[in-house]
Amino acid sequence: MSAVEHKQDAAISRQFVLPTLIFGLPEVRRLKRELESLDDFLRQSTIRDPGRQPQLPRLSRLCEALAAENGLNLLQEADRQQLQAFLGSLEGQAPTLHISFAADPSSAFTAKIVTWLRTQIHPYALLQVGLQPTIAAGCIVRTANKEFDLSLGQEFIKHENLLLQAFEAEAVLPVAQAAEAAPPQPTIPTAEVA
Amino acid sequence: MSIWWLALVIGAIVSMGSGFIWLALQLGGAKPRKKAADSFEDAAKEDVEHIFNEEFREELRNRGRLHFEKILGENAMFLQQDLRLTTAQLNDYMKGEISKDLKEAFANYQNAITDAKQLAVESIEKTKTAIDEERAGLVALLEKEVGEEKERRIQQFDTHLAQIVNHYVLAAIGNQIDLNDQLEYILNELEANKAAIIKDVRGGA
Repeated sequence: MSAVEHKQDAAISRQFVLPTLIFGLPEVRRLKRELESLDDFLRQSTIRDPGRQPQLPRLSRLCEALAAENGLNLLQEADRQQLQAFLGSLEGQAPTLHISFAADPSSAFTAKIVTWLRTQIHPYALLQVGLQPTIAAGCIVRTANKEFDLSLGQEFIKHENLLLQAFEAEAVLPVAQAAEAAPPQPTIPTAEVA
Repeated sequence: MSIWWLALVIGAIVSMGSGFIWLALQLGGAKPRKKAADSFEDAAKEDVEHIFNEEFREELRNRGRLHFEKILGENAMFLQQDLRLTTAQLNDYMKGEISKDLKEAFANYQNAITDAKQLAVESIEKTKTAIDEERAGLVALLEKEVGEEKERRIQQFDTHLAQIVNHYVLAAIGNQIDLNDQLEYILNELEANKAAIIKDVRGGA
């Protein structure tokens, strides 16, 4: 592993599990804001008079899933701080992949992609979904320094020789068919010399 | 002989002397004949006057006038004939000269017209030749450009064959391809490029 990889892994503790529902930076930032508001509410509740509590903050499904999958109690300040640190590290250092699709993907589709990314690429990989209708099928992946064209168009380019062979076969075929369809030329019998 | 000679000489001298004497006598006797000559002269004059009287003189004058008129008439006739002849010759000469000049002028005019026509024909021929050459050049240029354009389009078609097919597929069935149907294809492609993606992700700043 390189020095950069060590640095990333040290910054992001592997003890946390990142649910697939949290696939992008907007979700991470929203979770941070939720935790901050929860933290503020709980801190204020200790100093407020009883009976004069403000409206309880609502936690999203993502935040509850994050806490549940990591076995954390959001009512505990230490757990909230750990989670806050984890989310801060994610926001600053988690690898983000931008993948453009031909159409807007569904949640299930996105979850499957994120699952593959987190199992094959990086456990804390974040996904940024883009839309590029010009690609008929497939996707285009953009990392920090590279772009991977995994679209159908690129596949056509890779197998262009097959297309050319098909064109040549089609071009020869009409000539052969025309030759077969042409009537046979009548032969003139030569006069026999006595 | 000398006597005879002497006799002859004396005879000659005597005759000459008598001649001289007679002549002297005659001359001596002429003074009165001049007066007679004067009368003869007067008489001659009278006779002349008598002969050449006014009628005779008038007759002579008439004859002279007639003769003069005759001569004048003849000369006038000759002059008239000469004038007519000269006029006829002059007319013929003028006609000839004018005809010659006119013929020359018409001939020059005809030559000029012929030359102009020839020049016009040559000019038209040259123009036609130039037009034909220009047309041939334009046809060749057009064929060349059409051929080049055709080659360029074929080259572009060959170069961008995949993109063309891609666009065709997208236009034909782009809105019918469900993204969920592409999941397996996308995952396969990601799997195929996994190593490169991991390398870039883990090696990125």
